[in-house]
This record gives sequence, structure tokens and C-alpha cells, in this order.
Amino acid sequence: MEAFLGGLAVMADPYVLMMVVLGTVLGIFVGALPGISGSTTIALMLPMTIAMGPIPAICFLGAIYCAANFGGSITAILVNAPGDPSASATALEGYKMAEKGQAGLALGMSAVSSAIGGIVSVVVLIFAAPMLARAAYNFGPPEYFALALFGLSMCAAIGGDSAVKNLIAAALGLLIATVGMDLTTGVERFAFGVMELSDGIGFVPVLIGLFAVGEMLDQAARRYGRAQIVFADAARVPGWPEMKKCMRSIWIGSGIGTFIGALPALGATTAALIGYNETRRWSKHKEEFGKGSIEGVAGPEAANNAAVGGSMVPTLALGIPGSATTAIILAGLIVQGIRPGPHLFTEQPTLLYAVFASMLAANVFYLVMGLYMARLFARISLIPPAFLWPTVFVLSVIGAYGPNQSMGDVYVMLVAGLVGFLFRRAGFSPAPLIMGLVLGAMVEETLKQSLIIFGDDVTGFLGRPIALVLFAVTAAGLLWPVVSRLMRRGARAASA
Amino acid sequence: MVTHAGVGGGTDITARMMMVAAPGEFGQEFTVVNRTAGSGAQALQYLASRPADGHTIILMTQTHLLTMLRNRSLPQLSDLIPLARATEDPQMVLVRRDSPLRTPDEFLSAGRARSLRFGGTHVGGVDHVAIFAFGRAAGLQQPTLVPFRGGGDIVINLVGGNIDAGLLNPAEAESQLRAGEVRPIMVLSERRMAGFPNVPTGKELGINTVASTVRGFAVLRGTPDDRVARLEQGLVRAMSGPIYRGYLDNTGQSPDSVTGREAWGRQLTGFYEEGREALTALGLLR
Repeated sequence: MEAFLGGLAVMADPYVLMMVVLGTVLGIFVGALPGISGSTTIALMLPMTIAMGPIPAICFLGAIYCAANFGGSITAILVNAPGDPSASATALEGYKMAEKGQAGLALGMSAVSSAIGGIVSVVVLIFAAPMLARAAYNFGPPEYFALALFGLSMCAAIGGDSAVKNLIAAALGLLIATVGMDLTTGVERFAFGVMELSDGIGFVPVLIGLFAVGEMLDQAARRYGRAQIVFADAARVPGWPEMKKCMRSIWIGSGIGTFIGALPALGATTAALIGYNETRRWSKHKEEFGKGSIEGVAGPEAANNAAVGGSMVPTLALGIPGSATTAIILAGLIVQGIRPGPHLFTEQPTLLYAVFASMLAANVFYLVMGLYMARLFARISLIPPAFLWPTVFVLSVIGAYGPNQSMGDVYVMLVAGLVGFLFRRAGFSPAPLIMGLVLGAMVEETLKQSLIIFGDDVTGFLGRPIALVLFAVTAAGLLWPVVSRLMRRGARAASA
Repeated sequence: MVTHAGVGGGTDITARMMMVAAPGEFGQEFTVVNRTAGSGAQALQYLASRPADGHTIILMTQTHLLTMLRNRSLPQLSDLIPLARATEDPQMVLVRRDSPLRTPDEFLSAGRARSLRFGGTHVGGVDHVAIFAFGRAAGLQQPTLVPFRGGGDIVINLVGGNIDAGLLNPAEAESQLRAGEVRPIMVLSERRMAGFPNVPTGKELGINTVASTVRGFAVLRGTPDDRVARLEQGLVRAMSGPIYRGYLDNTGQSPDSVTGREAWGRQLTGFYEEGREALTALGLLR
């Protein structure tokens, strides 16, 4: 409780508060811009947060993440071009509503349901956090090894649709993670005598390259159609009848979003799509779906914003990111010298609660801004790409150079950008690569540490119950598809 | 002023704290150049690339000495002239609260019977050398190093019971020390520490070694003598002001941190030799 109040007190710091407001505005802005997603922006902003100190930095990034999910719905509704991938479900009903002349109402409902979803999930997070805190000191290298292995077992499912491509990307990430000096031998690996590589390949340049520069190259290689904006007045606050109609969808969306967000490897986009399906399934007005149902806006919007809070749980408590965006936030924490894990809850409770408080604040801020300025934000989708992307490129170079004042990082960023472009072209997702990069160093280091602690005796793992449980969960996750197929075949054989 | 730390890193902050008063002493502005790669190698290379005129100063740590030892193409200690020490942070041997090794005697006899697991930074790093030197001076079986990413991880694993002991700066384990989750067995400084008057020094127990993390300034050999003397005086004076004193206090560094070139040079030579012996014995030096 003390820590919670401490976290709230942090929000009274005008500097932190300003960062949250700034993050919210920026988040809505880029969320509304088709092409630039929340994750691209967070990658781009990462270097600038390094000088801020951990609390303002994470509050800033968290606010962008929250607001970008809402911002995406603005262009989804007005332009039928989801500004953020997570808003793709919102476009289904939202644009139909806009065509019917209900754009203002759709925007209002999106803002209200997003805020409710976001707040519900943060509240759940606040209550769930202390339970995880108790495990803190029981997590040593063997437990982290088991955890990292569990995280890696998810790599096939995170990001793109093709499991094989995801695994290839993850393997590449693991390989990149081995560059630099090895902790347990003091030997430089794959540095080829290049001094810049001896400390390993930094997260920041890789992230900026993969997300911002990769996206820029991809956009440059595309033909652009001009966006058509549906006319709308300012957003209209939904009245009581509409709220009553949508309450059920909002709760369904919030619940599903929080749960799915909390699962490693599933993020806001999945949450919104499942939220849409479930909203329709439980709706009393199924006939309205596909023709501009207001419930079809409320459900997915509540879900994708609830997923934001949910996905912070594995990211902060276990150090396993649930999505590309949280992978970047995780990297940002590590750059700040904070290693996420159960320890965070005992070591730095103020930081955690400050994060929660800032997310709550961001949800309130974008609600207000969304209701009054949605029309303004929608106009930014008219910014010509010819101005937008060169700006992104300049920021990318500055961002990669800044933290270490090293040209080496700029080259790494440019190479990563090329990789990101080729990835997009070949249908790979950058998310598993980042998982591999973040978890790769962890899985290797903790295994070696564990073996040193056990005196090179692998059976030492048998004496660690938490690690064993995590191994079992990993094995079950990997074997389940095989087992269920065998069981089905067995059942068919029995009936035949 | 070149440092191997990134902007905002511990050594970078030391440089910037010194620079608050330095322009007044020298009548000249200072700028920090961060050359972060290669554990000090890039910073040393940068220093070597500049003329030996006293206008380029390196803020160095023990890490640089070990980096030199492992890479002979870099400027060596004999190529440098030490100027002044900026910080000194003594290290202490810590065990967890419920450790069976309660007293220095129990600790030492356990260490003679088996190889104790010490937490430290990477293999061949400053901690490894210090732990090796401590083990040898105390007549222990060669301790096993469990390498971690930093002091925070070492403390957590110490409390969690994954390692037997940690060699840490008091500031790194501050909250656990206050909560009584870890216990100091001995401090490896010349004198007892003000914050821990009941904890004996290693020397009192007959262990002839000290361990501390230090930072200090140096220039290239060949810098004219009068400039070296001017720099030493100016730096020491710049670090005697209230702002720098307050910084030492706030970060838990020893109040005797600041000292001139003679003591600092002796310390560097001592670490250099200790490092060479340790790395050779550990088979890390070709």
C-alpha cells in the first residue's frame, strides 16, 4: 500500500506528469498514422528516454503504448485504415458506422470503451503484482533459465502467422545475442576484432533499425493511394442508452483483453480480434454486426486496451514480453539497468506502481483528448509520406548514435533496417527476432551460472521445484499438439 | 576528458561532478568524450590518438588495467602518468543472514575445506581478480566465481542462497544490509569503515589484501612535467569543493577518495601486478 501511494506520489512530479501527457499525445498521433505503429514509435523514442531516468522513461513509453492503441481506432473509423494493427477489428464496424454518419458516436464509444478496458486491466495488474512479488528471492539462475526456455518455446507463436518463419527469426535473434564478450569465460565471440562488437550488439540500434527503418524502406517500396476521410464532427460522448447497450461488450472485451494480454506471446491485436468475435457471440443484436454495430466497436476497443495492461504482467514480472511493443519496453528497462523479474516487485515497488499510475493517467488523458480532438488527430493521416518517412529516418540515425555516441551503433541500426525490410518482404515478423535477442543472452548465461552453482552437475535442476514446474509447462506446451494428434488418431482407430 | 562509461554511467557522473568546479581552477572548459567499447580499450585508444599535451585526460578504473593486460597493443600502464584518484569504494565480504558461516573464523575455515562460491562480474574481470587475490592471501582453496551481470544480481543471489559469499561495495547491498538480509564478515580496506565500526578489516584478521573499486585520472607519458603538476593540483582542488564532497557522500564512496598522483600511482601499480598474477594463474593471460 505504501508503495502504491509512493507510485501515486511520483505522478505528482510535474516532470513525470508532463512525460505522460507527452506520451499520450504522441501515442494518439502515431496510433492514428497508418504505417507508424506504437512499436515503431517506442523503438524510435527509446534512445531519448535513456537520459530521463527509469521512472519518467517507462511512464513515457507506457503512455505511448496505451494511447497508440486508442489512436489506431481514430483512423480505423474515419479512414478505414487502422492506424495501429490492433485496431483492425475496430475498422470492421467502426467504418460502417462512419458511413452511416455516426462517426462521432463511434469515436466517442471507442474512447470510452478503450479507457474502461485500459483501467480495468491496470487495476487487475495492481492486485496481481504483489502475489508475484512473494516469489522474488526464490528466483535464481536455474529458475530464470527455466523461464527463458519457456519464453523461447513461445517463439513459434509470436509475431507472424508462419511458425517456421517465426522460428527462423528467433534463431537469428539467438545468434545475434551471442556476439560480444561471454560472461562465464571472459572471451570475445564473433567480434572479429571490431571493438564496437566486443560489448555485444545493443538492443536500441537493432530495434530502431528493425521497426523504423525497416518500415520506411517497406513503405518507400509501395505505391500510395490517397486516404479519404469521412466527414465527422467532434466525437460525441455516448449517451446512457448506448452505454447500456454496450456495457456487456465492454466487460467481455476488458476480461478477454486482460487475460490474453497476460499470456506471453499474445498481444493486443489478437485480443481485439477475439474480443470482436466474443462480443458478437454474446450480443443481443447480432443482426447489426457487419452493418455498423456500436457494440462491435466497444468490444474490440476495450479488449485491445485491456491487453496493454495485461501484457505488462509477464513483461515486468517475468521478463518475458508478450508482444513486439512490450519486447521493446523490456529492452528499454534493461538499457536503464533494470532487470525485470519477480525481484522488481521487492526491489523497486515504487517504479512499478509509478508505471501503473502512469498507465491509469494515460487512459484518462486520451479519453479526454479523444473526445475533444479526434477530428484533429484524424487529419494527420493526410501528411504525405514523402515528408513523414525522411523525418523518421533522421530520428533513427540520431537515436542510434545518441546513447553511446558511436557510429558503430548507426551501422548496426542500418543493417538491422535492411534486415527488417527483407523480413517484411519475405513475410517474417521482427518480433520473434527480438524475443531471441532478449532471451538468448539470458538463456545462455543462466544455464552456465546454474551449472557453476551446481558444480557442473545437471541433476542439480531436480532440486529446484520452481524450475521443474516451468520445465514441465514448457514440455507440455511443446508436446500437446503431438499428443492431441495421436489421441485423435487413436480415437479414430478405435471407432473404426 | 575521455571515459569508457556511457552518458549517465557511474564513471561518467564522476567526471561530470569533478567538472563542476574544474573550469574555475583551470580557466578552461572541459568536455566529456564517451568511448564505451571494449571495456576501456576504445577510451585508451582515443587517448593514444591525441597529442601528449595534457589536454586529453582519461578517467580510468581497474578495468582499464585488465584490458591492457589482455591487449598488449593498447597503451600500457607504463605509457600513462597517473594524476589523481577521484573515488575509492572499499569492498566487503558478505554472506546471507542464515548462512552457517557466521564469523570470520567459520568463514575462513570453511573456505579452506572447500571451494566457496563467490558472486562477481565476468570471468577475468576486476571482481574475479580481487576474489582470487583475497582467496590466496587468506590461504583459501581457490574460490569458484559465479559470474553475474552486476552488483544487483549478486546481492539477490546471495540472499537467495545460490552463492556462498559476495565481494561487494556497501552501496550495492545497501537495502539488504539495512534489512539484515545479508551480513558483513569483513571489510577489505586499510581501516574499519565508519558505517560498520564492528566489522573487522581483513588486515586485522591477518589477510594481507585490500579490495576496492577506484576511479582516477591519468594522461599520456610525454606530457610536460609542469603541466602534469598543474593538472594534479587543479584536479585535487576541484574535487575538494562541497559539491564533489556531497557527491562522494551520497554515493557511499570513501571520504578519503581524493588523493594525489603518488598514492594513486602506487595503487594502480599494485592492481596492475595483482591483475597480472591473477590472470596468469587463472590461465586467462597468454
